[in-house]
Amino acid sequence: MTPAISTQNLGKTYRVGFFMRRVRGLHDLTLDVQPGEAFGLIGPNGAGKTTAIKILMGLHRSTEGAAQLFGVDVGVPASRQRVGFLPERPYFYAHLTAREVLHFYGQLFGMPKALRHQRVEMLIERVALTRFADVTLAKYSKGMLQRVGLCQALLHDPDLIVLDEPMSGLDPLGRALVRDLILEQRAAGKTVFFSSHILSDVEAICDRVAILVGGELRECGLIADVVADRENLEAVLLGEMAAVTDESALGVL
Amino acid sequence: MIRKLWALAHNTFREAVRDRILYSILFFAVGVIALSLVTQEITVGDRDKVVRSVGLGAVAAFGSIMSMFLGISLVWGEVEKKTVYTILSKPISRWMFVLGKYLGMMMTLSVVVAIMGLVYTVLLSAQQTFPPAIVYVSMGLLMVELMLLTSWATLFSTYSAPTTAAGFTLAVFVIGHLADDIWLYGSQLESPAARAIARALYWVLPNFEMFNIRAQAVHEMAIPWPVVVGGLGYGLMYSAGVLCCAMWVFERRDLK
Repeated sequence: MTPAISTQNLGKTYRVGFFMRRVRGLHDLTLDVQPGEAFGLIGPNGAGKTTAIKILMGLHRSTEGAAQLFGVDVGVPASRQRVGFLPERPYFYAHLTAREVLHFYGQLFGMPKALRHQRVEMLIERVALTRFADVTLAKYSKGMLQRVGLCQALLHDPDLIVLDEPMSGLDPLGRALVRDLILEQRAAGKTVFFSSHILSDVEAICDRVAILVGGELRECGLIADVVADRENLEAVLLGEMAAVTDESALGVL
Repeated sequence: MIRKLWALAHNTFREAVRDRILYSILFFAVGVIALSLVTQEITVGDRDKVVRSVGLGAVAAFGSIMSMFLGISLVWGEVEKKTVYTILSKPISRWMFVLGKYLGMMMTLSVVVAIMGLVYTVLLSAQQTFPPAIVYVSMGLLMVELMLLTSWATLFSTYSAPTTAAGFTLAVFVIGHLADDIWLYGSQLESPAARAIARALYWVLPNFEMFNIRAQAVHEMAIPWPVVVGGLGYGLMYSAGVLCCAMWVFERRDLK
């Protein structure tokens, strides 16, 4: 079966500053995520999680290796046709209403008008935004914007949902809503790939996890196998972070 | 593809028309056009022509200001505000994104110039007579000029911050209006190398005077159609070339 996500030796080196100093954001990432799987990408700040996701979503160009979504190279826009993406802290057009912005995104997926209308109304109701659907997004709170973000990610009923820190900065109610939506998608047989700092959520939702530290893949597998004889996922992550001590492994070449 | 382009263009237009800054500039522009009526009180000679000239000049000046003001943050603004993340993560090519934004901006500028043209027509009709057809041909060529100016602003906005892009676009605008002078002074130079450089600059840089028939419009002079068609062809082809550069630059950018 073609993996939903596949990367081979994927890497990204940035050029920063006046002297174009090379900084490694991601190195030699090889992993496959199978259809129907819930996969968590965890690691500390600067581990390369967002870099990996941005490469998969066509927002960054990789400098090493290759990646495919459902067998299609991530450099091809059509690779994202079956993908819904929620960025960390989603930003939208402040002058538009939730309903308008969702219709706009639906048009970008080429959804027919009737289907778009049906999905927009269903999702707005699902995330409890019906009362505010015609209010401009400039007046929305962070949690409400995150809910709009989820709606646009699920709008075209994608087979793969990629979420970058979906629970970050949400109140307990918002976190519960996001968690329920992810579990719903997982139960519906969708592939869910997400990065998170909140390890309890990862343990509750994911089948498999990958641990990134300093831009490198340290561990990957079923949660039970990764945790093995250690206390929990947090203990594993802290152990991996402690193991990476030299400066080069933290990302500076 | 056309539907996606339309969605991007329509969204850009909708965002622009809901921005209060646009209305502030438009309000000011309409005020200046209206004030052109006052100029007849302080002028000697053909007062009607002065009014027509000041009014047309105001339409051109404010059209150019809006083109630069809105164009310099067209792509950069989307990257800075991170709204681009939820668009380019859809099955949308980067070239399509740049083209869609540009078309949306041109829709906005068309509406703005149409409103200014309407105000100009109403005021002129009330004070003098209905403006001759050549006035509207000159406004059409102004739109071609704005098309070219906006394409430059779009190119700069794909890689530089609005302040830098504003400087570059303003430089292109000024040089573009001095293109004929570059040719004239260049041809008077003694050094063959300097002459060659001046000619190369003339051919590479845009010539905005190709679209300027406002003096003829004010004096109701006939304009040969080849001049209009030539200006239109030049503007379309040059704008397409600059837009292709903008797409090429944006295609290679990492979105932070």
